[in-house]
Amino acid sequence: MTHIIFNDKHIDLEEQQTVLSALLEQGHQIPNSCRAGVCQTCMMQALEGNVPAKAQEGLKDTLKAQGYFLACSCMPQEPLHVRTVDVNMLRSPATVIEHELFAEGVLHLRLKPSEAFDYRAGQYITLWKDSVLGRNYSLASVVELDDSIALHIRRIPDGVISNWLHDEIKVGDTVDIQAATGNCFYLPGSPEQNMLLAGTGTGLAPLIGIARDALRQGHEGDIHLLHGARQIDDLYLHDTLMNMAQEHPQFHYHANVLQAENITPPISKNPLMQQISEVAAEPADWRFYLCGDAPIVNTMKRNLFIAGASMTNIYSDPFVSANDV
Amino acid sequence: MSSLFDRIGGQVAVDTAVEIFYRKVLSDDRINGFFDGVDMEQQVNKQKGFLTMAFGGPNNYTSKDMRDGHKHLVARGLNDSHVDAVIELLGNTLQELEVATEDIQSVADIANSVRDDILNR
Repeated sequence: MTHIIFNDKHIDLEEQQTVLSALLEQGHQIPNSCRAGVCQTCMMQALEGNVPAKAQEGLKDTLKAQGYFLACSCMPQEPLHVRTVDVNMLRSPATVIEHELFAEGVLHLRLKPSEAFDYRAGQYITLWKDSVLGRNYSLASVVELDDSIALHIRRIPDGVISNWLHDEIKVGDTVDIQAATGNCFYLPGSPEQNMLLAGTGTGLAPLIGIARDALRQGHEGDIHLLHGARQIDDLYLHDTLMNMAQEHPQFHYHANVLQAENITPPISKNPLMQQISEVAAEPADWRFYLCGDAPIVNTMKRNLFIAGASMTNIYSDPFVSANDV
Repeated sequence: MSSLFDRIGGQVAVDTAVEIFYRKVLSDDRINGFFDGVDMEQQVNKQKGFLTMAFGGPNNYTSKDMRDGHKHLVARGLNDSHVDAVIELLGNTLQELEVATEDIQSVADIANSVRDDILNR
């Protein structure tokens, strides 16, 4: 058993207890969201002591070097002196310049950051409602092509932040955003490799960014984008993707819906996984990007690997929601 | 005479073998249930560690690591039959990579040597 020092107080940690859990138990308000080491909402700073490597996974080297860590993934082996991070240092304001529904329950939000905001298409940012409530949203824009950042916000029943964004936020408002992170993005090596991008729901947001980024960087192989949805109305970028396929012969769009009648290609009722194995019949040579609901992403990943895809060619972003943990 | 690890092909062989081996593990209904819900990237790294050890390479495994790492699986019913299956798949992987039969036996012997730690007995 060890302890942490926070605000000059000594707080004991149970065996296998995280810094976040100990602080919350003591009644401290620590911003947090996914509690799975993904969203980086609970970032804190260590002033003294050794931070376990696991608590710094996914952080930028510059942040690691300054002792930043994720409180939800931090189970120190020895005493650790910690403090909350000055949130203003990590966040910057952005102005809402577009606020429109793509489809029932899916909001298209465009933001103009107040200062240069660097990211790679496919990464995600944290959007803050106030000092402690924040959620991750994937970037649907491409920094080199777009002068604003785009997010696709799915309304979650009882979701504090998504409902706030849908119902209260309007054009002209200012929201706080925090640095982009995540490893699911296009890399220019192997331009001839065929790529398959598959996602459900708003998993489409990072995928369209990655597809546009690949085209921008001169990718030569085929790019297949598969969007899985419940019904036709949920295919919220259908026209945009049809146009992209018209414009770029190497870009192919497939839509897979569970419930539909009288459908014509590229919409089909094939299960997403079946569609994937038809498109990428020999997955060993392909590169994959998988985004959206975590159980579906993880199943796709496992099936593709078993079918012969290499782990080094599978990039994924399973959406983890606070409700799941 | 060169070491087992060198004869098999060292770290390069580990990197080649790990995906073949893990694919066999996930495809095998005798044992794949133990891998439901695990993070696949982390699992590949763990299996590289395991293969390095089994190939006679440098490793820092302790008996305690082995016990702690498998305790939750033993609680879920992990037993000798599952360890046998893993060793069998390891052998099949090495056959595919055309490793010599005697060397495959040596690898199986090393894997067997940690059986009691894995099964926490």
